[in-house]
Amino acid sequence: MHNLSTKKVFALFVIFGWILLIVADRVDELRVYQGATIAITTLAIASIIILTGYSGQVSLGHGAFLAIGAYAAALSQTYWQSPFWFTLLMSVIVTSLIGFILGFAAGRLSGPYLAGTTLALAVGLPTLANQFTFLGGETGLVYDAGNPPARFGEDFTLYKWFFWISAFVVLIAMFLIRNLLHSRYGRTWKALRANPTAAQLCGINVAQSKILAFTISAGAAGLSGALLGMISIVAPSAFPLSLSFTLITGAVLAGVTSLAGSMLGAVILVVIPEIAEVISTSLGESEKVISNLPGFIVSVLLILTVLFSPNGPAESIRKRREHHQKAKH
Amino acid sequence: MISLRRNKKSVLFASVVTSVALAASVVPANAETGVSSSEIKLGITVPMTGIAAPGYNKVAPAMKAYFDYLNANGGIYGRKVNLIIKDDRYIPQEAINKTNELILKDRVFALVGQLGTANNLAIASKVRLGSRKIPSIGVLTGFSGFADKKKYPTTFMSFPSYAAEGRIIGTYINENLASKTVCLVSQNDDFGTDAAKGFTAAGVKFAEHVKYVSGTQSSATAQVWIGKLVAAKCEVVVLMTVSSATAPVLAVANAAGYKPQWILGSVGSDTTTLKLSLAPAGIPAAQAAALFNGAIGLSFAPDPSDTADEYVKLFREVNANYNKGVEFDNNVAIGMNYALVVAQALRAAGTSPTRAKLIKAMETKGSTFASIGYSPMGWTATSHAGHSAFWFGKFNLAGELKPLDAARTLYTTDNNATQPVTKTTAKRAALPAKGIPTNS
Amino acid sequence: MRQFFSTILIGITLGSIYSLMALALVLVWRSTRVVNFAQAGQAIFSTYIGYEMMVRTGNFWFSLLIAIIIGSLLGAGVEYFFMRTLFKHADDGPVAALAPVIATLGLLGVIRSVVGMIWGNEYRSFASPVSTDNFVVAGATIPFSRLNVLVIVGAALVMIAFSIIFQRTNLGLALRASAFQPEIARLAGIRVGPIRTIGWTFAGGAGAVAGVLVTPNDILSPNSLDTLLVFGFVAAVIGGLESLPGAVVGGMVLGIGIAFILNYVSTTLIFPAVFVVLLLSLVIKPNGIFGSKKVRNA
Repeated sequence: MHNLSTKKVFALFVIFGWILLIVADRVDELRVYQGATIAITTLAIASIIILTGYSGQVSLGHGAFLAIGAYAAALSQTYWQSPFWFTLLMSVIVTSLIGFILGFAAGRLSGPYLAGTTLALAVGLPTLANQFTFLGGETGLVYDAGNPPARFGEDFTLYKWFFWISAFVVLIAMFLIRNLLHSRYGRTWKALRANPTAAQLCGINVAQSKILAFTISAGAAGLSGALLGMISIVAPSAFPLSLSFTLITGAVLAGVTSLAGSMLGAVILVVIPEIAEVISTSLGESEKVISNLPGFIVSVLLILTVLFSPNGPAESIRKRREHHQKAKH
Repeated sequence: MISLRRNKKSVLFASVVTSVALAASVVPANAETGVSSSEIKLGITVPMTGIAAPGYNKVAPAMKAYFDYLNANGGIYGRKVNLIIKDDRYIPQEAINKTNELILKDRVFALVGQLGTANNLAIASKVRLGSRKIPSIGVLTGFSGFADKKKYPTTFMSFPSYAAEGRIIGTYINENLASKTVCLVSQNDDFGTDAAKGFTAAGVKFAEHVKYVSGTQSSATAQVWIGKLVAAKCEVVVLMTVSSATAPVLAVANAAGYKPQWILGSVGSDTTTLKLSLAPAGIPAAQAAALFNGAIGLSFAPDPSDTADEYVKLFREVNANYNKGVEFDNNVAIGMNYALVVAQALRAAGTSPTRAKLIKAMETKGSTFASIGYSPMGWTATSHAGHSAFWFGKFNLAGELKPLDAARTLYTTDNNATQPVTKTTAKRAALPAKGIPTNS
Repeated sequence: MRQFFSTILIGITLGSIYSLMALALVLVWRSTRVVNFAQAGQAIFSTYIGYEMMVRTGNFWFSLLIAIIIGSLLGAGVEYFFMRTLFKHADDGPVAALAPVIATLGLLGVIRSVVGMIWGNEYRSFASPVSTDNFVVAGATIPFSRLNVLVIVGAALVMIAFSIIFQRTNLGLALRASAFQPEIARLAGIRVGPIRTIGWTFAGGAGAVAGVLVTPNDILSPNSLDTLLVFGFVAAVIGGLESLPGAVVGGMVLGIGIAFILNYVSTTLIFPAVFVVLLLSLVIKPNGIFGSKKVRNA
């Protein structure tokens, strides 16, 4: 993967997109909807991987950027009647800009201080929607990708349309991010993460590079937020603190440093609650137990994954494979 | 997972995982989704865990208890009603996910008693119940917008709207407490703003309007609110709050020796919940009840303590036999009542029900259904509003709401609170024998 | 003027509540460099134990004692059986910053579910051991009661007791050494593992105090300490994360700041207020009020 040329990677992305399209035609609607969720979560997780995995900054409140992206997109649709692609562009521009500004502050804070600040941001931001009427209050803003074009036929469901849009947008975004991480900037971030002092001595501008990471991460998060708004709603209650925690969980499951793992992280996030539900319906006796069992099982599975495969299952498999290959030589 | 390890490329690896996750065969469409010869499947998403669970987690089990009772008495034309309960933790995205599962995986016939404004908005707009023609019967929220048939063609309300409640309380204040300084405490979301619409329509001016953010109510923050109410010299305080906010407000005011005339909105005045939080271990229940003794309250249904009422009596019986160990309160009564309403709707849809027939039946016959509210529901071909009339009462030392006048006068306005408040003599339908509907 | 003093009093009440949670978080941070999100879960479990004891015995002080004991044991157990395994597997790289967050959040979920399974997801409460009636000063009621005093005294006692342990005893020296320089501490013959467990034990006890003192006159549910965790964490950050007096001062700064914004700007701005107070305090003191520059970059 790391040695592949950009052209080959592009071809891989196209093939993968093609596979997705075919698969989406063969599965039922629920899976298609989950596919859209997975695509959107993949991008959101990637935004954390850029920030934490590459530039070493920790944000506990990335849900705030998803919220900003969703509101930016919805506002441009509501008040400017912008075409849909433009609303997505707006979400990236606005969140990148805000990420850039916050990046300055973030550069001065490290570790828990940045974590606390971003956490407070995620807690404080959504309730602001109730302060200004143009943000639509608790019921939020209408944000819609419209109905699927008529030429796709009657059978083309709304969820398939959601999936096409999310998969297409996320594939492009992931391709760009992948190239960025393999560029000079990606290497700079890696160097910084490995040894900040040495990197500084080599002439790397630490502050600048951290701000850049924050900006790009915010932009990616904002884009995924707009897509989330498309399949969910754009309202304060759609961006609870638990969303931010879910994304971090996804990033850890993805292996934090592995961009390809971000999709696996997203898949696991969707699959675990389903497993939990299956187990709990077969185990539960009293109402108290049944209603609390899914939460219990999700948490236990999470803990087990982090305890025994802290770098994410994707990373563990990769390491094992490398080990295996080394042994062969 | 073992077979996956052989993949060479991480991207391909991930793609295979996704495909596996996505892969499932298409179930052929059925003309009557969720209805078999022996069963009708219904679905509900409610907060069973999480911040909003206390109280609301009793609604769905109560519904199920009534359906069990119904099934033991012949079901709906011989079909058993099977209610599938999913926990949405009061998060809109979860509500969408779980509703999708109910519709696409469990393949339910209809949704019943979906709870919360934001969740219902999310479901209606993104699951697109309207264009998919999936009925959502008796949404448990008073947000007036859901009565709009054009926007939500398959959604049917249950409670009177918050706007109507606001206008009715406002009119009561104008008529009885006009010379007093009146203030309001309300939740800063759709609940509060919808109610405020009603107060504005009634022409009530509040000397102080304290708004709080849901989730931050505690006795410490209530100190700030009470401080503001005392400073504004409020003699009458209306609480459009949830019970977890009503409780600290009453407790803190009591501790401060502040005793205005309280008017408790119907949402946050379930005294069983209030007593539970106000009568902590170590304090007699009577002492807690003293906190809301003398407060004015209003309700569209009988007080759950009113055992002389035929609905309350039946639901208490069903609760004792089919919902063992659960204390009977408003949440239980509401759950059972809307299960009863759903049962009548299912019967009215005929022996071979379809979703279209169900909606048609509710629009043509809904206002005749037996329901615990004192006025009929406003389900018609043009509006899907729920109950619309309130009666006023005073809480006594036992925490029971007793009518202000023996006749239990009902006050009503329209769902959007555009009409002046009037008295209504509308009568509710009698409970079918043993609470088992026989309508058609 | 009266409103001004009332606001300060309410701020102090809020602040003392935040301080209690902040103290527990600081105790864990000092010993293992982890922000323990499970603290809310440990505290809620201890509080339910306290509730159960209140129901059975009716004696608040006895219930508090049992809650503290259970809370401490739980803290020790979490560190011994849980955090050690975690650190064995994830102790460097970017994942080291995130894995504990996820692990403790997962633990929070587990404890919360267990509490729900045992006691149900409904409201409960227990009585205050002292009067909650507001004091009357010169004929005017002030927003302050004996219960508020008790919470402040509780926070102060926790702070003073642990400060003495940290500053005046050999155990405290070992605790500080193993937190700041575990390798050097090991070379000096300190058994870092058990010392860390002791740090978590202290934190568990402090969390139990927080839960039990905050609950009277308020409601108890599996989620009732969630917001307190966020506020406590922010208070700890404002205080500098390292220092016990810092946790208390951070709590007070946050509490008074929030009280002023609620009273003079808007009651709906409580969550944005948290962000604003934190941002302002970090602009003025980027390392927290009692934090040291060196530690911040560690």
